[in-house]
Amino acid sequence: MPASLEARRLRKSVEGRALLDGVDLRLEAGTITTLGGPSGGGKTTLLRILALLTAPDAGQLLLGAVDVDTLTPRQARRRIALVAQAPAMFQGTVLDNVRAGPRLAGEDLPELEARALVVRAGLDPRFLTQDARALSGGEKLRVAVARALALRPEVWLLDEPTAALDVERADLLVRLLHELAIGGAALLVVTHDARALERLGGTNLTLAGGQLTREVPA
Amino acid sequence: MSYVSVTFPQLVLSLGLMAMAIAVSARNGLGLEKDLLVGTFRAALQLFAVGLLLTVLFQNEHPIGVFGLIGVMVLVAGWTAARRIAHGPGTGVLFGYATLAVLASGLLVLVPVFAFVIRPARWYEARLLIPISGMILSNAMNGVALVFERVFASIHDDAPAVEQLLSLGATPAQAVQRHTRAAMNAALRPTINGLLTVGLVALPGMMTGQIVSGTAPGQAVRYQLVIMYQLVAVAAVAGALASRFARTLSFDTREQLRTFADRRVR
Repeated sequence: MPASLEARRLRKSVEGRALLDGVDLRLEAGTITTLGGPSGGGKTTLLRILALLTAPDAGQLLLGAVDVDTLTPRQARRRIALVAQAPAMFQGTVLDNVRAGPRLAGEDLPELEARALVVRAGLDPRFLTQDARALSGGEKLRVAVARALALRPEVWLLDEPTAALDVERADLLVRLLHELAIGGAALLVVTHDARALERLGGTNLTLAGGQLTREVPA
Repeated sequence: MSYVSVTFPQLVLSLGLMAMAIAVSARNGLGLEKDLLVGTFRAALQLFAVGLLLTVLFQNEHPIGVFGLIGVMVLVAGWTAARRIAHGPGTGVLFGYATLAVLASGLLVLVPVFAFVIRPARWYEARLLIPISGMILSNAMNGVALVFERVFASIHDDAPAVEQLLSLGATPAQAVQRHTRAAMNAALRPTINGLLTVGLVALPGMMTGQIVSGTAPGQAVRYQLVIMYQLVAVAAVAGALASRFARTLSFDTREQLRTFADRRVR
């Protein structure tokens, strides 16, 4: 069975330093992969390359066994959700933000569905009418998750998603990520949070010195 | 027809006005004295040189001379609009785009007005073509410079949101629409304000010049209106072209946002 997202021999250097030195990665449908490693080691760069926001110096990306270069960037990106560590909120309310993805494709997301997505992401529905830019870091993160849910992506890339959340909300998010995996999504979660790592389970990778290694549980 | 003549000693006397501005700068610690001093002499030098050039051109009117000078105006306008753009791809790259925006918007606005409204006796009549083209091209230049400056700076400041939109499947046009709209709006605003307040706050330079040199006010007004409408049209077209170019330059072939360092920092 082909992986949802597969990276082959990715290379990327920034200012002469090799952040990715021939990295291979397979994100299978229905699985969670966690990624750790030293800060500045290229984890965010790898996520950006997988999200098609940064071009690698060399290598190939396959989305559902199809080379992404044969797809239009917008088609491919809609199938890959990127939840940044400090997600950017668009001007307007939380509802406007959750509707942003469908609206870009000329589709309308009914308010009832938006409400359900916000609740699924762990937010109270009364947030729908609030100014998205005025929210706290943890609330913005959950809006970003709801915003991504609206597009039903096959691949999820999350950068330190629990960093701005308290334990209870972090556990809720982990539960949602498991639900997404059960629903067939492939997830890559960058995290240093030991509790989240343990609860997420799955394959644990480390990126250091440009190489991706698989951690074997002790 | 009578016109006001300024003798050389009277001109020297007007330097007192610049001394006034320099004194204000010095007294308030604005640090603009050097710029004002350089500006005073540079403006005089440039205008005298242009005056001399125009005298020669008017006396030996020839299409090559007239369009050669307008061509130089277009290039200088393009170069000026492409300079000092923070977070842009650099003057070398922007110059071609800026020149194209100035040239295309200038042609679009000038040709029909000369052909159907002003209708000079000779199609290369220097007395009409050069000053009017200068005004229009300079407005195009300001529009292009403003749009480039605004679009590149605001995309840079808002890069996370632009990339988030791309991530949700936005086209480059959708991802930066907020920025290009705001920049085009800003480019048109001064010219629109000019339209709204003209005659109430100040009489425009060309009309003042015509009235001072003896033209009937009614005629001067008609001329001025044509020029003002041209100024608005050229600002709109030049701004639209510049924002289109800025958008194209902000993304690579895979629709990824390109980042540019601030080139003004040394």
